[in-house]
Amino acid sequence: MDANLKNQTISTAILEAENINFSYDNGYKVFENINIEANSGKFIAIIGPSGIGKSTLLRLLGGFLKPDSGTVKLMGKPIYEPIPEVALIHQSIVTFPWMTAEENVMLSMKTKSMSHDEMIKKARDSLSRVGLDGFEDLYPKEMSGGMRQRVAIARAFAADPYVFLMDEPFAHLDELTAEGLRQDIYNILFSGETPLKSVIMVSHNLTEVLELADEIYILNNIPASVVGKVEVAMKRPRNPRSDEFNSNLDMLYGYLTPPRKR
Amino acid sequence: MNEIILITLAVLSTTVQVVLLVIFSIITGWFLAYGSIKSKIFENIYIIFIEIFESVPVITFFPIVLIIFITRIGGPLGTQIATDFLVFTAVVWNIWMGEYQAFKTVPNEMVEVTENSKFGLFSKLRYLYIPFSVPRIAANLFPSVSDGFFYITVSEVFTVGIHSYQTFGVGSVLDTFVADANLHAIYTTLIILGIFIIGIILILREFSKYAVSKYTLDTDTPVLKRGRLNLRETTRVFAALSKNPLSRLSKYYKYRETENHEEKYEKKQKKKKYYKYIYAAIGILVLILILYESISLILSVKISTWDILFSKTGYLLYGLGYDYLRVLTILLVSMLIAIFLGYYLAVNKKAELFGIPIIQTLSAYPAPIYFPFLFILTEPYIISVFGGFTNELYVLSLGFVSTFYYVLYSFWMGVKAMPGEYWEITRNLKLGFFKKMRKVILPSTFPYLISGISSTINSAWGGLMIGEYWPDIYGTHTLEVHTGLMKTIDLATANGQIALAAWGSLIFGIVVAIYSVIFTRRMMDVAQKKYVAEEGIYSS
Repeated sequence: MDANLKNQTISTAILEAENINFSYDNGYKVFENINIEANSGKFIAIIGPSGIGKSTLLRLLGGFLKPDSGTVKLMGKPIYEPIPEVALIHQSIVTFPWMTAEENVMLSMKTKSMSHDEMIKKARDSLSRVGLDGFEDLYPKEMSGGMRQRVAIARAFAADPYVFLMDEPFAHLDELTAEGLRQDIYNILFSGETPLKSVIMVSHNLTEVLELADEIYILNNIPASVVGKVEVAMKRPRNPRSDEFNSNLDMLYGYLTPPRKR
Repeated sequence: MNEIILITLAVLSTTVQVVLLVIFSIITGWFLAYGSIKSKIFENIYIIFIEIFESVPVITFFPIVLIIFITRIGGPLGTQIATDFLVFTAVVWNIWMGEYQAFKTVPNEMVEVTENSKFGLFSKLRYLYIPFSVPRIAANLFPSVSDGFFYITVSEVFTVGIHSYQTFGVGSVLDTFVADANLHAIYTTLIILGIFIIGIILILREFSKYAVSKYTLDTDTPVLKRGRLNLRETTRVFAALSKNPLSRLSKYYKYRETENHEEKYEKKQKKKKYYKYIYAAIGILVLILILYESISLILSVKISTWDILFSKTGYLLYGLGYDYLRVLTILLVSMLIAIFLGYYLAVNKKAELFGIPIIQTLSAYPAPIYFPFLFILTEPYIISVFGGFTNELYVLSLGFVSTFYYVLYSFWMGVKAMPGEYWEITRNLKLGFFKKMRKVILPSTFPYLISGISSTINSAWGGLMIGEYWPDIYGTHTLEVHTGLMKTIDLATANGQIALAAWGSLIFGIVVAIYSVIFTRRMMDVAQKKYVAEEGIYSS
């Protein structure tokens, strides 16, 4: 991302959800008046008790689901359906087994007016960005979980998104791989080499959230609403063994009481 | 024409027809399956349609097929279309059902990826749905090709009343050789057909292996190759050092200045709704056409004919009862063999290596082609032992050889798919063969068994339809049973009593559909709820 644009848009909402209300088809009301704002250069985390609807919220933010009322806007323009500018990265690692790593990444460029050579070049750049140089021709089955998640992230990058929506992206990885990937991904996300402006991640792993997030939205109650917003002021890199980290962690745990019906 | 060339061309013609019809089924199935996941109305009509026709044996449609294509279109074209339609209905249902199930089970996350990239209908089909359906298509190709060969060889020559119809292919060529008592040509035909079938089986086996290795979602395969990870040590600070600020900026404004998103969204939603309406309209249209054809057919039958048909209904049901006893006998024998042979093949690698390809080839080799020769060779001995029961025994045998592969193959797959832990438990507890079978193997293979039993029953009807009344099985000898609904339908067709044949088919179709709802589906539900070990039902 260019420095000028970043400076111009600091504190400008890149993705915002205004008064989102949403019920499932069976009438169960999931969200009530959800307001979330992801500003430029910010890593946003959404936490909440299990089953509160974190993944559903992410799909509302991405246009995959339509709210009953309220709007989601990308840089001021309402989103009505999924768009490549807001890329969703799933909890389960989504790679297409019949395609090589390169073909998987090229998938997100198929609807763009690009030549085949341009697509290959961009796919290779994206793979290289996530550390998969030399693995272009491997099939997902020939890769580890961590590598496959990198392919999924490279595919999302190749679409030149402004916002990443990450649905517990490290949940299916072992802790060691997840730890390495978290750091790498954070560095890549805000490296300035992509148009990416903001990331919204949902997670139940509070250590992971504290390591990565600039702002944390806390969901609770039934129907769910934002019950708190925490600005994480800790310097980076954050040490999960530090006292400051642990006191923040304790504070976050305090928010995660079982949801109560209002 | 040289005899060998003629035979090769005939076998080639039959093979190409079967293969083309299978391909046609696959292609149409993709679009129908896509329609089903897009429109609930279309899905409901489509699935009811498939389930009924899947459970009603294909051969019983024949009288109706004859009416439509031979009496309405007529000529060689009508005959060819009648044959192709019959074969199409033999191969199509399980392929269509497999594709529908595949499309319905595409993981939502994968769909979201394509939605995120704004894929249209063809891109979604090309990059997601079609590849995802390949393993299920591969799994259904064996039975479809087997059924295709079975029915094409019997439908290449058929008689309605005083008219005989035939199309060029191995069935009709063989019929001529049999009439001329040209033994050399008959054996050559059998061998050439065998070579073609072995070739097809080998190709299908390779395709299945390829499909499973490339297209399944199994993610537990060990990593084959690892290399250097090149992770960039960059930080957010690099945001200030972007190489091309202008291009980023222009992109940013380009996005902001795009046309009114709300309008664009509305347009797209309208387009999506149109697709939904189109699929719903197609579904309703098909339903109306079927109803219209059925009603006009019913109205075209004279009242006096209806009286005759109603008066014969009791006899038809009596014949059906007989036929169910035959099917039950075939099923019990097939299961008995399947359980022992299937178990042996599953636990003995050497036997499996040779046994399975032989069974697959035999299952694809159409029984109506070789059965007359078995009949000629064995009849004198069988008569001397079984006397008046001989014809019954042959009909049961034809039903058996047409169908026992399905339950055998399913059971073998079930034993192969049993989790390793189950085997360890049986060893740990030192269970004997019968206890192991009763307590562990049969329950854990139950979904596979039900699936195999269902296919075996459906195919047994085809064998009975051919065997219960087989005029001129050799020379002027006719193989026939005393009583049976299939025999009545066969005779009515041969005598040109199409109304009676169609009435018999309709009664049969209704009974089989009720049986399917009451028995097969319930057993499938029980299997899924109680006995499924690692998605047995879908794999089988």
